[in-house]
Amino acid sequence: MLLIPCPYCGLRDESEFVYGGPARALPDMDAQTPEAQHSLYRPINPRGPLRELWYHSGGCECWITLTRNTITHEFEDDLS
Amino acid sequence: MSRFSIGGLIDRDKTLTFTFDGVTMQGHPGDMLASALLANDRHFVARSLKYHRPRGIMSAGLEEPSALVTVTDAFGSMPNLKVTEVPLRDGMQVSSQNAHPSLERDRAAVFGLGSKMLSAGFYYKTFKWPKTGWAKTYAPLIRRAAGHGGIDPEPDRALYDKRRMACDVLVVGSGAAGLSAALIAAQSGATTVLLEQDHALGGALLGSMEQIEGMSAVDWVQDARAALSQLSNVTLKTRTLAFGQYDHCLIQAVEAPDEMTTKAILWKIRARRIILASGAIERPVVFAGNDRPGVMLASAVRLYIRRFSVGLGKCAVVAVSDVEERNDTVAALNEAGTKVVAVLDSDVQLVKTKGRHHLKMVIWRDSKGRRHRTPCDLLAMSNGWSPTAHLFAHMGHSLRFDVRTHSLLPSDSDGPLYPVGGARGVRDLVGCLQDGKAVAHHVMAELEMHKHLNLPRAMPTPAPTKRFQSATQTGFVDLQNDVTRADIAQAQAEGYDDVELTKRYTTLGMGTDQGKTSWTNGILEIAAFGNQTAGNVGHTTYRPPYSPVSIGALVGAEVDTEMIPIHRTPFHTDFARLGCVFQTSGHWLYSRYFPQADETMTEAVTRECKAVRQSLGCVDMSTLGKIDVQGPDALTFLSRMYCNAFAKLPIGRVRYALMLREDGYVFDDGTIARLAKDHFLITATTANAASVWRYMQKCAQIDWPDLDVTLTSVRDHWASLAIAGPNARDLLAALDPDFDIGRDAFPFAAVRQGHLGALPVRVFSVSFSGELSFEINTPAGFATALFDRVLDAGAKWNIVPYGLETLDILRIEKGHISVGTEIDGRRTPHDLGLDQLVSSQKHYVGRAMLERPNLKAQGRAHFVGLRSEDGHSPIPPAAHLCEAGMDSQGMAQTCGYLTAAVHSPTLDQPIALGFLDNGHARMGETLWAHSPVAGKSVRVRVGPVCAYDPRGDRLHA
Repeated sequence: MLLIPCPYCGLRDESEFVYGGPARALPDMDAQTPEAQHSLYRPINPRGPLRELWYHSGGCECWITLTRNTITHEFEDDLS
Repeated sequence: MSRFSIGGLIDRDKTLTFTFDGVTMQGHPGDMLASALLANDRHFVARSLKYHRPRGIMSAGLEEPSALVTVTDAFGSMPNLKVTEVPLRDGMQVSSQNAHPSLERDRAAVFGLGSKMLSAGFYYKTFKWPKTGWAKTYAPLIRRAAGHGGIDPEPDRALYDKRRMACDVLVVGSGAAGLSAALIAAQSGATTVLLEQDHALGGALLGSMEQIEGMSAVDWVQDARAALSQLSNVTLKTRTLAFGQYDHCLIQAVEAPDEMTTKAILWKIRARRIILASGAIERPVVFAGNDRPGVMLASAVRLYIRRFSVGLGKCAVVAVSDVEERNDTVAALNEAGTKVVAVLDSDVQLVKTKGRHHLKMVIWRDSKGRRHRTPCDLLAMSNGWSPTAHLFAHMGHSLRFDVRTHSLLPSDSDGPLYPVGGARGVRDLVGCLQDGKAVAHHVMAELEMHKHLNLPRAMPTPAPTKRFQSATQTGFVDLQNDVTRADIAQAQAEGYDDVELTKRYTTLGMGTDQGKTSWTNGILEIAAFGNQTAGNVGHTTYRPPYSPVSIGALVGAEVDTEMIPIHRTPFHTDFARLGCVFQTSGHWLYSRYFPQADETMTEAVTRECKAVRQSLGCVDMSTLGKIDVQGPDALTFLSRMYCNAFAKLPIGRVRYALMLREDGYVFDDGTIARLAKDHFLITATTANAASVWRYMQKCAQIDWPDLDVTLTSVRDHWASLAIAGPNARDLLAALDPDFDIGRDAFPFAAVRQGHLGALPVRVFSVSFSGELSFEINTPAGFATALFDRVLDAGAKWNIVPYGLETLDILRIEKGHISVGTEIDGRRTPHDLGLDQLVSSQKHYVGRAMLERPNLKAQGRAHFVGLRSEDGHSPIPPAAHLCEAGMDSQGMAQTCGYLTAAVHSPTLDQPIALGFLDNGHARMGETLWAHSPVAGKSVRVRVGPVCAYDPRGDRLHA
């Protein structure tokens, strides 16, 4: 179980969070390009650092963006 | 009795009585079940999995492969417990497993004779024909013959719990290395947790006659225990097994508390550093008959003699590859008065053992090839040691085969988990003490709790260069699964030569012991067969749990009503008083129907429906999600969230609204009420309340942070009661409103704030039932006051409260969509016939994806209404729509299916809703509704979804 650095609540257990998937630039709401469709259906899944969203449902109810290394599960974000 | 009158760590002043297969036996506090059985001369305690061979107690720890029993106590029975892991308790009933009618006269023992027939891959190759044979004949037969104990069919009456803890340093294991590490960490001021699986601290020290700091090992353990117990920063837990390491330094452990009120506690311990001092496991010698009762690991022999003061036999053969250990084992046997008839060094070859239910003779060949037959009743054997580094490997680190120590070793760790002592191959006492100390100092320096001393670490102890070699193919490598050398060789020969494949093909290393005594031997066999080094063979993946953990412990106290919190609406007690029948709906306990006298549900629901359609009813709407949206950009925000246009929505009006997902499919429906210029209240369905709230927050916080908007979930703040029926406006008037409720002043789809008498309210003129309806919201604390007043004033029109059943029938009559049935994540607004809601003038979530060709294609499944053609045949629920009748084989091509089917009390005929391919263009067609489940087929006619008051006149009355 991960220990997630919430910028508002500090280090908290993963069980308090809902995973929000990789952070991605929102395509233009009208964009019908293949890129826009790919961004929806082919989420990026790199080996290494990944910017992703977490929703702190059992805490501050904030959506936070963190960088997690998908190999080691270490968060690269500093709480200080 | 084989119990000595003195010595050992047992309390002879007290006697505990237990039974084994109905025979009453005695032991003492301090005994494990294993030692108590041995003290009662009971070696033969089990039959093996496949061949039903007699099995005894081979080890003295969690590695025990053979001695599995079922233990029954006040809480029920628990199968497959190792006798070596169960502390003796008074009144325990122990029974053997996998033997009928009894251990001694097991019918299936005949399997042992045909072991060639049951070799690896036997099942895969043999039971292939006929096609139906497996399910009907073979599987039941094999299941009866193979396997372990049976599960207690009664509900578990024991209590379980889950707890959490955090510490600086967590030490796993309390042998020499663990205790010396814990002492350093604790005395340096770190919050320290020490976990020991056994009920006594000390690990291997309890079977040792060596001296530490001028005292006996056992006294040193007591000293260390006293020193640790005095410190307030130390938590010392015995009978607590650390069974897994997880991300970010989380260790999960399961405690079996001494007091019997709680059977197990699951601990989640977050440590900053972990010192793994879990020791090592002795490796058996693989030779024919190495599984017979009376054949034991040398370390277990020493432990039973010295810790439990139990004699194990009259004359013993010692076959231990390490010289020091060999001498120590002989010394222990001498202490016990057991005659040592032969001490074998690893030049000799063990050929086989003899004996029916217990060891009677060891046959061996000396270095000159001469055959010896040595009668004996105990064989103490050892072919080396395997470090217990499982927790280290749980995080994905592999162990490498080290030639010097002849074992799988963890690599040098740079934290946060450090294997020490036996767990990294250090065998000698001095080395273990030093290793624990050095690592503890290193960890304290890392935590910046004292300066770095840089003590040298002990070196792993080299294994003896010579080991006992196997003579025949029939020796057991894995005793729990009856896997022999021949089985492993066969797997290699048939191409299952990768370790993972060998494991699955032969079952080597599976089961409750997960190959603790067998894996290293198995790897050596694989290597030998393939002429490769053991290092190239690798190992299978280590996963938690290290040793079986009961499901009860993992579940904890979260059973029955404790599993999830029950949400009750503010009207719950009022409804209960009226005899309401409740049902769970998501997390909610929601009113289902309100029976009167001895009404059946159908009668009650029919009465409720008619009352709403003809006069007046009221229903709880408090479970709907309610989100308060405020701010200068509130309108822009909502306009992007919902696909319909409402930029011109006047203050005080309400609009039905549809929310799409990013991929263009319908996500949820609800209403938007404009309370002020920059102040809206939106509702979400009960089922989606949480996900809509979460999604809106994501949009506000992450996607459009530039919008100045504030969201507040206010669902629990309001009690919401809808009054519905032709007399709803009259009732509202009777409730003494301080605002104009006339038909023109308060039209359909509007919101008014004010008071009903003294009650502060918001009233929404919206309807799910299709009748004239007002949803009265009042602060949750006033729920009872509102309900009482509505019932009192409504009595004039014979108001009836109604529940979910009636709510559902009324919405089906109106063709309103519902989450989970019609909104199932695969529907576009067009599919649902809600085209007119979709704005083409604005940007909103899902718009781009809604334009994809397949979502715009002709002939998609459309939402339609259906009635039985003859007007009275009931339509079976969940039926499939087909153009043709079923053929002789009960098959028919489907073109759609039903989402709802009820008998409409209002129309007094069966009606249904469903999805039909190209349904919008098929009005008036007649189809079959087939239900193979109900065994019914009915002719149905396709029509519009709304079966009642299609023009909506009743809403505006």
